[in-house]
Amino acid sequence: MNRSLVIVLGALALGAVLFIGSFAASQRICRMCVAQPTGSLDWLQNEYHLNNEQMGRIQNLHQAYLTQCAAMCQTIDGKKQEVEAALNNSTNVNPVAAQKIEDLAACRAHCQSQMLQYFISVSQIMSPDQGHRYLAEMEKNTLGFSGK
Amino acid sequence: MNPDDTKFREVLRAARPSPSLPPHFKENVWRRIEDAEASVKSDTWLDALAALVLRPRFALVAATMLVMTGVLLGAREGNRMAQKDAKAQYITAVAPVTMR
Repeated sequence: MNRSLVIVLGALALGAVLFIGSFAASQRICRMCVAQPTGSLDWLQNEYHLNNEQMGRIQNLHQAYLTQCAAMCQTIDGKKQEVEAALNNSTNVNPVAAQKIEDLAACRAHCQSQMLQYFISVSQIMSPDQGHRYLAEMEKNTLGFSGK
Repeated sequence: MNPDDTKFREVLRAARPSPSLPPHFKENVWRRIEDAEASVKSDTWLDALAALVLRPRFALVAATMLVMTGVLLGAREGNRMAQKDAKAQYITAVAPVTMR
């Protein structure tokens, strides 16, 4: 094989290793350093340019909502188990199971409306532009809205 | 100084004697010129690139630039991913999978 070709290919391989290695190491370190602790709302503050007063109000709202949300999740889990029990060994959806499914759907709908209310309340604390952006982003990510 | 002054030139030449040339000096000179021309003609762009790559200064500059570019782009990407993680973390907290 041509000596020059080997040298050039070797140099390219070494260059690729250097670039990929430094990229991966830097990416990993930066991701770890910038990572926020669980429950932190720093992302919200940075992303939507919130001042401390707005942040304080949102934190209170957030804590209250999380308590509500945890209770709703427990209720939904309970309803799911009821549906599972009603469908157990059944080859079709019996009236009891259908009722349980409707209860579960109603529970989920209630939970979603609470979530939506939380998003609206948070967005109202922000400046109009940021609040609109926040609401669109949250609706898009949680309810699958188009975000227009 | 008068350039036509032959007598003066002879005296000057005698004052600075030139050393005698080694044997086959002319032949050797012509052979080296021919060799140099032949090697220039046989060099391809690949040989030139290989020669460039093997230069220590070029290799050092290229390696430094690659590492620095990798670090900068990696940091930017890491920061972007951390922001994405934080957003996902917030959304998971306020909208658990069970209710979606």
